[in-house]
Amino acid sequence: MTLLLLFNITNGLIVGAFYVLMALGLSLILNLSNVINFAHGGFLVIGGYIAYAISPYVGFWGALLLAPPLTALIGLAVERVLIRPLYGRDPLYSLLLTFGLAFMIEDGTRFIFGPQGKPVAIPPFLAQPLSNDLFFITGYRLFMVAMVIVAIALLFVLLRYTRLGIRIRAGTLDLETVAALGINVRMLRSLNFAVGIFLAGLSGVLAAGQLGLEPTMGTGLLMPSFIAIIVGGIGSLPGTLAGGLLIGVASGVTAVFFPAASEAVIYMMMAVVLLARPRGLFGEEGMMS
Amino acid sequence: MQSRKLIVLVAIWAVLLLAPYWMAPLGGYTALATRVLVLGLAAMSLNFLLGFTGVLSFGHAAWFGLGAYGAGLTLKHLATSTPLALLAGMLLGGLCGAILGTLIVRRRGVYFAMVTIAFGQVFYYIAFQWSSLTGGDDGLRGFARQPIDLGVFRLDILTDATAFYYFVLSCFALAVAAMGFILRSPFGRTMIAIRENERRSRFLGIPIERHIWIAFTLSCFFMGFAGALYALVNNFADPHGLHYSQSGDFVMMAVMGGMRSFWGPLLGAAVFVVLQDYLSSVTVNWMSFVGLLFILVVLFFPRGLLGFFQRSRA
Amino acid sequence: MNVLEINNVTKRFGNLVAVREVSLNVAKGELCAIIGPNGAGKTTFFNLISGFFPPTSGTIIFDGRDITRLATHQRVARGMARTFQITEIFPELTVFENVRIAAEVAGGYRLRPWINRVEATKVRAHVEGTLKLVALDNRSDRLVGELSHGDQRAAEIAMALALKPHLLLLDEPTAGMGDQETFQISQLIRKLHRDSNYSIVLIEHDMRVVFNLADRVCVLDQGRMLAQGTPKQIAANEAVQAAYLGHAA
Repeated sequence: MTLLLLFNITNGLIVGAFYVLMALGLSLILNLSNVINFAHGGFLVIGGYIAYAISPYVGFWGALLLAPPLTALIGLAVERVLIRPLYGRDPLYSLLLTFGLAFMIEDGTRFIFGPQGKPVAIPPFLAQPLSNDLFFITGYRLFMVAMVIVAIALLFVLLRYTRLGIRIRAGTLDLETVAALGINVRMLRSLNFAVGIFLAGLSGVLAAGQLGLEPTMGTGLLMPSFIAIIVGGIGSLPGTLAGGLLIGVASGVTAVFFPAASEAVIYMMMAVVLLARPRGLFGEEGMMS
Repeated sequence: MQSRKLIVLVAIWAVLLLAPYWMAPLGGYTALATRVLVLGLAAMSLNFLLGFTGVLSFGHAAWFGLGAYGAGLTLKHLATSTPLALLAGMLLGGLCGAILGTLIVRRRGVYFAMVTIAFGQVFYYIAFQWSSLTGGDDGLRGFARQPIDLGVFRLDILTDATAFYYFVLSCFALAVAAMGFILRSPFGRTMIAIRENERRSRFLGIPIERHIWIAFTLSCFFMGFAGALYALVNNFADPHGLHYSQSGDFVMMAVMGGMRSFWGPLLGAAVFVVLQDYLSSVTVNWMSFVGLLFILVVLFFPRGLLGFFQRSRA
Repeated sequence: MNVLEINNVTKRFGNLVAVREVSLNVAKGELCAIIGPNGAGKTTFFNLISGFFPPTSGTIIFDGRDITRLATHQRVARGMARTFQITEIFPELTVFENVRIAAEVAGGYRLRPWINRVEATKVRAHVEGTLKLVALDNRSDRLVGELSHGDQRAAEIAMALALKPHLLLLDEPTAGMGDQETFQISQLIRKLHRDSNYSIVLIEHDMRVVFNLADRVCVLDQGRMLAQGTPKQIAANEAVQAAYLGHAA
C-alpha cells in the first residue's frame, strides 16, 4: 500500500511537472496578451514530433537541445501571421483561432506521421530503474523532473533579472504604461509568446521520451493546465506553479483510492477553490474580474 | 425599415416551413434539416448570452449535453413521453447551469471563458466516467422518441421524418419566440446595455452580476432544451456532446453567422453542419478543413456572414 | 436639510492616500463645485460617493441614511446619478434607446420580461420629456456614437436625469468642449439647478463655469479639503490662490 501510494505520488509529481510547464507557458501568454492559447497542446505535439523526426540524426541530446527552440520559432511565426492581427479585438477571436489551429495541428501530425508515433529513444543509462524495489523511479523520470525544475528556474531568472523579463512583468501589470514608455509592445508580445511556446516544445520532447507520441497527447494536457492556472490564481506565475503540482499530486493520490475519479478530482479542487477563494490560491484581487 | 424586417421574417419562416420540400431536390435530406434546426437553436441559445449580453461562455456544450442525457434518461427509465423528456432535459441543463453560474458570473472576458470551459469539462467527465448510468464512452442507447398523442390523432414522430421535422420546428419556434420576446423586454434591454458598456450600466442602477447570472441561466435553459431535442433526433446521447470542442463548434456557428444578429447563428449552424457533413464524406482530414475554416472566419469574416452582407450593403 | 453628508472619508490605495479625511455637506437644492489641481483626488472622491469602491474609513450619509457600504446600484435606487469625465454611453444605440434603459430602471422594470402598453407609454413620455430638457428631442433616433461631443455629454446627462435622481454628480461636464458647447452645457446645468431644483455636485476645471454656477466651492488639494466657501470667498482665499490658482497660472 505504501509502495503503491509512493508510486502514485511520484507519478502525480511527474504529471504535475508537465502540467506546470504547459500551464506556465499558457499563463505567460494569457497574462500579457489576453489570449487563451488553445493550440498550446498542439505546440507540445509539434515539439515532440520534431524531436522524433530529428533524433535519428542528432540523437536524444541533440533533439532535446534543438526541438524546443525550433518549436518556439514556429510559435513566433504563428504569432506574427495569425495572432497579431487579433490584439485589441474581442478575446473571443484569438480563442476561436487557436481552437481551429489546434484542430489543424492535431490532424496535420496525424496526416504526416500517422495516428501513432514511436517513443523517441532515450539514452540507455536513463532508462534503468534506480532500484528493484522502487522500480518506477527510472533515471529518465528523475531526469525529466530535473529538467522541469531547471526550466522553471531559468524562467524565473529570465523574468526577474533580464530586461525582457522585467518588461514582460511590467506589461502584465500595465500594458499602457509600458507602451507609453516607448517599449515596443508588439515585439514584447512576440517574444513572450515564443517563450511560452518554448516551454510547450520542451514538454513535448520530454513527453516523447517517456510516453511515446500521439497527435492527441497535447489536448489531454490542456484542460489540467487551465485548471492549474485557475486554482493557482490567474495572473500569478508562482500560483500556476503551485496549482500544477497540487492537482498533479491530488490526481495521483486519488488514483490509489478511487481510480475512476483521478481526473474528476482536479475539477472538484477547482470548484472548491473558486468557492472558498474566488481569485485562486495566489491570485491578486481584481485579476480575475 | 419595419416592413423590410417583416419581409425577412416571413422569408425565414417560409424557408423553414418548406424545408422538407426543397431539401430533397438540392441533394439534402429531411433529417439533415432537423439537425440544422436543433444545432441552430443551440447556437442561438448561446448567442443569447454571447451576442446580446457580451459574455463569452466557452463551455455551453455542457448544458446542451446535459439536456440530451436528461431527455434520454427520462425516456429510458422514467416515462415514455416525449414532452416529459424535453422538459426533463431542459430542467437538467438549466438548473445545473444556474447553480454553476453563481460561481462564474463575477469573472469577465477571457477569465469567464476559461472558467466556463473548465466547468463544462466537469460534466463531460461525469458523463464519461459514470458508465453505469450514462453508458460512458459508448453513449446512452436504448431509448427512442415516442409518438405524440394529441387526443384526436397520433403524431408519429418516430418513423415519419417529415412529421418529426415539423415537431422539431414547432419546438424551435416556441424557444425562439421566447428568446425574441425576452430580448425586446426591459430585461433584454439591460442585457444589451451590459454588452455595450458595463460601467455605464452599473451606474444606471443595474446590478451587473445578477443580470448576467439571469441571462446565463436563461441561456442554459434554452441550451438544455436544444440538447433534449438533439437526443430525440439521434435516439442517442454521448459524452462528446458535452465536450469543449462541441462548445467551440457552437461559438463558431454563432460567429460565422453573425453574433450581433438574432438569426445569424441559425445561418451559421446551417453552413457549418452542411459543410461538416460534406467534408467528412469526402476526406478523412476534415478536421484540418474545419480548423482552417475557424481561422479564415476569424481573420476575414469576424462579423459573420450577416455582418459581412450588412456592411457591404451599407 | 442635507442631501449628502460626508464625514472624514479617507481612501488609500496601498501606500497612496488619494483622499484624506474629507468632510462635505450638500444642502438640498444646492450646487456645490469641487475644484483642485490634477491628482487632487476629485475623481476618487466622486467614486467614493457613487460607490465605485468603498472608503477605507469615514461615513457617507445620503438622505439621512448610511450608504457607506452600499453597492452602486443601491445608491442609484436611492436617488443618486452620475456622469463621467470621459463620456460613458451606449454608442451603438440611439439617443432614445440610451435614455430608455435609464427610464426603465427608474420605473422599476429592469427585471421584467415584458412591459405592457400603459407602462411603455409612460416610459416613452418620460424619455421624451428628459430629451426635451437637454434639447436632444430632435435627435432621438440618431445613434449616440454619431453625435457631436457636446451632444454626447448632453445624452449622458439625460441618462442620469432619467433615473429621477435627487442628487446629480457631474464629473467635468465641460471637459474637451469648445466655448460654444461649454456655454450650452453650463446653461443646461443652470436650468437644472434653478428651474428643476436638483442638488448637484460638480467637478470642474473651467473657472468661468464654476464661478458662474456654484453656490459653494470646495477646493481639494493632495487629497485634503483645503477650503470651502462662496465663490467670492474662494477667489479671495490666499491659501487657495497659492495652492491651486498658482498651479493653473
